[in-house]
Amino acid sequence: MDPAPARYMIRINGHLGATMLSAFPAMAPQHHGAHTVLTGLLDQSALYGVLAVIEALGLDLLELRKLTPDRESPGSGHHRSP
Amino acid sequence: MTIISAPAGSGKTSLVRAWAGRPGQPRRLAVLQVQRDQQDAQQFWLALLDAVRHASATTGRAEPPAGTPDFNAPAMVDRVLSELADACGGVTLVVDDLHELTSPEALAQLTRLLTNLPPQVHAILTTRHDVRLGLHQLRLAGELAEIRAADLRFSERETRELLDASGIELSAAGAALLHQRTEGWAAGLRLAAISLAGHPDPERFVAEFSGSDRTVAEYLLAEMLDRQPPDVQDLLLRTSLLDRVNGELADLLTGRPGSEPILLDLEDANAFVESLDPGRTWFRYHHLLADFLRLELRRTLPAEGPVLHRRAAEWFIRQGQVVNAIRQTQAAGDWADAARLLADHSFSLTLDGQAQTMQALVRAFPPGADHPELALVRAMGDLAQGRLDEAAAHLAVAETYAETTPPDRRRRLGVAIASLQLALARRRGHLAGVIEQARFLASPVTGQSDEDIALGNDLRAVALMNLGTVEAWSLGLPDAERHLREGAVLARKIGRPYLEVGCLAQLGFAYIFHGAAMPKIDSFATTQRRCREAIALAERYGWGTEPVIAPALMTLAGTMVWLGEFDEGERWLRRTERALQTDTGPDIRLLLHQTAGILHAGRGRRQEALEEFGAAEDLASQLEGSQALASQMTGWLLATQARLGMTGEARALLAALDDERASSGEIRNARAVICLAEGDPAGALDALHDVLDVTAPVLGYVTVVEAHLLAGLAHRELGDQRAANQAVERALALAESDRVVLPFAMTGSAGLLEALPRHQTAHAALLADILDILHGASPAAKEQSSLPPAEELSPGELRVLRYLPTNLSRPEIAGELSVSPNTVSAHIRSIYAKLQVRDRSSAVRRARELRLLAAAGRTR
Repeated sequence: MDPAPARYMIRINGHLGATMLSAFPAMAPQHHGAHTVLTGLLDQSALYGVLAVIEALGLDLLELRKLTPDRESPGSGHHRSP
Repeated sequence: MTIISAPAGSGKTSLVRAWAGRPGQPRRLAVLQVQRDQQDAQQFWLALLDAVRHASATTGRAEPPAGTPDFNAPAMVDRVLSELADACGGVTLVVDDLHELTSPEALAQLTRLLTNLPPQVHAILTTRHDVRLGLHQLRLAGELAEIRAADLRFSERETRELLDASGIELSAAGAALLHQRTEGWAAGLRLAAISLAGHPDPERFVAEFSGSDRTVAEYLLAEMLDRQPPDVQDLLLRTSLLDRVNGELADLLTGRPGSEPILLDLEDANAFVESLDPGRTWFRYHHLLADFLRLELRRTLPAEGPVLHRRAAEWFIRQGQVVNAIRQTQAAGDWADAARLLADHSFSLTLDGQAQTMQALVRAFPPGADHPELALVRAMGDLAQGRLDEAAAHLAVAETYAETTPPDRRRRLGVAIASLQLALARRRGHLAGVIEQARFLASPVTGQSDEDIALGNDLRAVALMNLGTVEAWSLGLPDAERHLREGAVLARKIGRPYLEVGCLAQLGFAYIFHGAAMPKIDSFATTQRRCREAIALAERYGWGTEPVIAPALMTLAGTMVWLGEFDEGERWLRRTERALQTDTGPDIRLLLHQTAGILHAGRGRRQEALEEFGAAEDLASQLEGSQALASQMTGWLLATQARLGMTGEARALLAALDDERASSGEIRNARAVICLAEGDPAGALDALHDVLDVTAPVLGYVTVVEAHLLAGLAHRELGDQRAANQAVERALALAESDRVVLPFAMTGSAGLLEALPRHQTAHAALLADILDILHGASPAAKEQSSLPPAEELSPGELRVLRYLPTNLSRPEIAGELSVSPNTVSAHIRSIYAKLQVRDRSSAVRRARELRLLAAAGRTR
């Protein structure tokens, strides 16, 4: 397992309001259509912590992706740079 | 079995409740709600056992389930299974919120429970996500039903039914829209129903909700909260940081009276608040609501959080709810206070069976921050896990820290540290020296407040148990007896049955050997009685197979073997093994192998005995110092090797022993066995000389019994039958008061006994019993159950009965017993009547079948 923190993108159904967003202090939110996209630098245990919060708050998880350094846009594909 | 696996708010718990509460439901219901982030296997199992016992209505036959410092999970699963099997009628066992159980140990044992359920039990598990339980066997057998999120979603028709049942008037289009927006999510629909009830314009509410992009949960939770009056909103926010709340606590956190009626109203309105007890005094919020409220509290009243946590912590301390108090203190960010609370209560929490909770609390401290108080708690965790070097290192840190604390705390910490040092020393087998350092433990701990005294008493009782235990293991018997007795009395006084059981169990062990070259009156019988009393007390609390009672179980097994009751001894030994299956300490395992070894040796299975003695010797080499019974163990190993013809190995081992060990009676006996095996009976007699004249140190008179028998064998080899007979007679005389059989079996003395003319022995009854056992006819144990019960003989009759197998006449028996011949005749008539026999030889036979002869020497 990769021990270094990496940038992750998490897509959730619906717009998160101020209350729900306060549960993800380490993630930057953006609205994409009817979805909320959270991005942030997380190590593995922080990532599982975020997933547990999503589960606890009854949120609808749509997508989870690790972003590569040169392609940070959430819309880009999941190729890894060598 | 049924598993309901679906996300938060899918209606899992409601479904189970509705199903279990349906009319005509004939099954008993046992419900366990798993606590938030449950990391403590024992707390989980105690709660489960409690739920099962309530459902099976078997309460009242024993004490309520109580925690122990050394939890035996497999034994607990057996207990739950037997409660379930005993319950009459069907039982439905519900484990709600299984995803909160994060103890891998508890999950593994739960798998065992679920795959071994009695046929009349139906288990239902609810969880937010799939939990790793090894249930593929059940799945393959078609015994497992699964209900998942898709099954729980409300259809459009069900959505309309829910709205109708809640008295909400909404158009068909409105209901369809609501269903579409919530996607049939149960929590969403119920939250919507709460907001819709009494809403002036339900259609507009649904339209607005439907037009919003916000998540269903947040939109509806915020709506519900907004629609509450300000004081209710305030109460919900301020109490959200508790897992459970009651009126008093809510008043304290809101600073206003009148919280209880609000909580009752919320529950009545089905507003995600539910009471936890039939009297409706404690409440909890639905997890979804609680998590939302906590976020809202932190966002809108950021400064209030620590204040509220501190207030809650103070209340919990006053209520004696230490774990909750520590959690709240941690949440307030008062880490130093939390560390001190945890250290001060660490012994009491351990005794309460919360050792794993305590370690979870330690893990909750931020990494890197240095709290030297925690070293003590960490040492306890290390000891429990068998990490002895880490425990020693943490104890050293704790000692340094203790020197910097004020005198009253220093004293208490000192007792705690010394007590743990003793436990550590015992596990390492490093007994020399520690007792001297720990002597001060025996004097009382002084305290100011009631709480100080209570903590001090817990500490002192633990200290007395640990001190007495180490003393027993190093054969400091008078001290061991005094400290263990004192510990047991104190434990009883302060309501710590675990410590009372622990002290009594060690007392039983302390008695098996008493260092005397002559038997005391009925010492084995006394030991057995003590062990049985300790075991009975342990059983009352459900600890009959916990590690704490293992010393008594083992000692009882050992005495059975010494008395030649091999089958009974084996049963107790099996139970000891079960009690020790979670114990990793080499010290007590060593005894387990040793006892198994003498059992095999007694039955003449020398190869098996050798393996057990070898395993015990291996464990002994892991201990730093030599253990109390080392000379005995080594002696048995050497003798068994010699008897198997491995005289070379035995000689090599013997040569490696130090002088002190080699001069003990037990090793001298072993040397004699080696000489006999080498065909050197004169050498054997030479080796035995100091044991026979009782100048060599011995662990107990049984060593002397053995020496006489070995001398008898040597004399016979030398052709001196007269001397052999005298030696056997001396062995019988020593063995008589306890009716010890094992040395006769281990030395292979059947031939010696048979050669002894009956008119030359005063111990014919014992001799006959021993021969019965040596010839494999374990006296009538197998037939016993098929025989009609005999009326119980009086003590006087039993005394006479003992002489019936001898050649003594009635007047001679009267002479032996210092009573008149008429009394003896009266007793004999009564014995014949009670045993339903007509003559002396059939009386003897019948008495032997009923094991009355063996018991006669050991009656109270």
